[in-house]
Amino acid sequence: MERLLTPVHRWIWRNPERRVQKLLRFSETETDGGRDLLRAAELTTDPLLRRLYLLHATDEQRHGLLFRRRAAALLQAKAARDADGGSAEWIPAASHGLDDLDVGRESDETMLAFLHVAETSAARRFTVYREVLHSDPGTQSVFDDILHDEIFHMNYTLTQLARVSPERHRGRLWRARFTRLWKGYLRVASGIAGLIGGAILTVQYFVVLPAFAWLAKRAMRKEPQGWTAIAPQRSDSMRRQY
Amino acid sequence: MNILGISAHYHDAAAAVVVDGVPVCAVQEERLSRRKNDAAFPLSAIEWCLDRAGLEPDELDAVVFYERPMLKFERILTCALRAFPHSWRMFPKAMKNSLGEKVWVRGIISSHLGVPARKVLFTEHHQAHAAAAFLTAPTEGAAILTADGVGEWATLSIGRGERNRGGATSISLLREIRFPHSLGMLYSTFTAYLGFKVNEDEYKVMGLAGYGEPLFIDEVRRTIRRTPDGAFALNLEYFDYHTTANRSYSRRFVDLFGPPRSPYEPIDLTTDDGRRFAGIAASVQRVLEETLVDIARDLRRETGLPDLCLGGGVALNGVANARILSEAGFERVFVPPAPGDAGCAIGAALYADRIHFRNADRDVPDHPFWGPAVAGDELARIAREDGHHVADLDEATLIEQTAGDLADGRIVGWMDGALEFGPRALGHRSILAAPHDVEMRDRINREIKYREQFRPFAPVVPVEVAGRYFELPPGGARLARFMSGVFPVKPEWRSRLAAITHVDGTARVQTLERDVEPRLYALLTEYGKRTGIPVLLNTSFNLAGEPIVNRAAEGYSTFLRCGIDVLVADRTRVTKRDSLFQKRREEVA
Repeated sequence: MERLLTPVHRWIWRNPERRVQKLLRFSETETDGGRDLLRAAELTTDPLLRRLYLLHATDEQRHGLLFRRRAAALLQAKAARDADGGSAEWIPAASHGLDDLDVGRESDETMLAFLHVAETSAARRFTVYREVLHSDPGTQSVFDDILHDEIFHMNYTLTQLARVSPERHRGRLWRARFTRLWKGYLRVASGIAGLIGGAILTVQYFVVLPAFAWLAKRAMRKEPQGWTAIAPQRSDSMRRQY
Repeated sequence: MNILGISAHYHDAAAAVVVDGVPVCAVQEERLSRRKNDAAFPLSAIEWCLDRAGLEPDELDAVVFYERPMLKFERILTCALRAFPHSWRMFPKAMKNSLGEKVWVRGIISSHLGVPARKVLFTEHHQAHAAAAFLTAPTEGAAILTADGVGEWATLSIGRGERNRGGATSISLLREIRFPHSLGMLYSTFTAYLGFKVNEDEYKVMGLAGYGEPLFIDEVRRTIRRTPDGAFALNLEYFDYHTTANRSYSRRFVDLFGPPRSPYEPIDLTTDDGRRFAGIAASVQRVLEETLVDIARDLRRETGLPDLCLGGGVALNGVANARILSEAGFERVFVPPAPGDAGCAIGAALYADRIHFRNADRDVPDHPFWGPAVAGDELARIAREDGHHVADLDEATLIEQTAGDLADGRIVGWMDGALEFGPRALGHRSILAAPHDVEMRDRINREIKYREQFRPFAPVVPVEVAGRYFELPPGGARLARFMSGVFPVKPEWRSRLAAITHVDGTARVQTLERDVEPRLYALLTEYGKRTGIPVLLNTSFNLAGEPIVNRAAEGYSTFLRCGIDVLVADRTRVTKRDSLFQKRREEVA
């Protein structure tokens, strides 16, 4: 799939502003992922997994830093102050690092299967990114560095999954793939719903609100500045929400 | 009577339980979820609090939310209307944000906890701040000043409180300044301009201010002017936070102060830009202090009361607090350990108890330790599993060894008893170190906190000897109880307390009474015997971007990932064997 999308990725990475945005977003995701892995390390009762999760968390945090530093270097080179621009922001990011996985409530099996699938997918994507970035060796070397770690992450998660769940590890992996697919669908669906909702609200804003806006502005002009006295009875009831 | 207080949905969500008029527990959601400044509805915090208090939800007499959500929604909608048509981008976002969850608080609480909707009560945001400040302070009557970014409409309010032992309590808020005129938003705007995170990094502006000269005061005063009635108004041409969610300052602001700092570039104080940023930080800090001192002075004159209770996020500004104490005429200034929104969970519950239910006044324990306790045996188990050096020691040996570690220049992660409520580590989840030389400060910044060099560290000192090392005005020791004031280090001690002395010769002191934290007090005393100076550097036990640790396992994982040499939890002492993390840490650093 990622291979098929190579021209799209080439187009995305060609633009320096989009490149900076992508790197900053990756930095955030990797840092969040590191935080979730840290949580997993703090919660697991398996000493070997604790050590591996901690190592993995440290790697993710380092990746976050590498992405951020590279983005900063690109920003500095461009002397750009504001990275705001057009991007695929309408799709909500996997806000909790590990795709909204509730680390505190998941078993080690689920966690490992999820990690393996996520790392494999990330490794595939990063391989394509590295290939399309040959005009930017600095960013390319960041992906090189990170890919090296991703291979270790993919391997250890699979080995450990087979250790902690020898009978059912293949089933766990398929379940993780379906869950990931479902969550991807939900993200796209909620992104589209957000776009539609935003459009409806924007239409309402220009059609319904102007009269109220005029009244609000008129009231604002009459509002005194400085202290406003608080009427003693204003707080009489704690049952009111307004 | 059992009351649950909740703050949520903006930043730093928290829960607290008050039983028969006395808080029994409180915790911020971030300490359980491990997401810094977690604003989500604090389910984990609520579950922990109910468990700690031994209550089922149906045993609660009331659940109190810390603000009135519909009033807040009214403010958001009104601001969008006032800014028409410039608010067209902000409007859909604000509506989706508010209507998605935030205005349905009664239903959310009712459905999550299974309590009837009639038991869900609401305070005003600044009432909750006022209650958190006044009802937890050891005073029977005080003036009250609360200031933050914004609650519903109020951004700053003043009033007075009265308690009668065993009798009725009153909190009267007299006047307020309303959004968009806000000292908190003014400071946050400069925080954003200086490339720091809003609602999180305001203290960095305060730290940076120490390095600058207030050369931009006139410019700052063009953005905020005093009104004839003694309040203030912002010149809204310089701000955008009231019209858009994306920016807090306008193009005119940039014209006035120059290009903003990129958050991705370090502050280099040897460059012109670095000095400009420090100068701007110093200027806005100065204007904030002067405005607060003036308002507090008027309040003192109006109420005639000797005590002042300060609440709201602005009360985290220790430099301003110290100036209020010295210049506004109050004899004592009380700032609770959690003056920000998290503290509103306790404030809302206490307000309901004393004012709504009219229960008799009761003293509230004067400490910040309301959270989960640490378990030394948990640390011992996991550290042994990983092959680190573990010792379970008796109390006296632990204190002696730890004092020896500190005197030998080791950095100690110190976990003891119940977690602090609020943003400061006050001796239960602290990183401790010798305070004597700059190398120690730089080492902690470099190997543990991974943070800017200009950030200062705080000292902790036994209250009885604090005056020997720090210039504390009358009432200063009280203000320093929860690290709420910044005071000068006595000149003759600055070179020997270099790690905790800020560039301007000040320190954010914590004065410690034996009864508040006996083990840390014993450690300070023992350290004093060895070095002649019973002062330690005390910084929060966390890494950059992470919340303060709660459980032993979190302290342990932090210990492994940074340059802390010794970890102590309860009576367990752990030192590291060489680990893989050393290499990783060096790479990150």
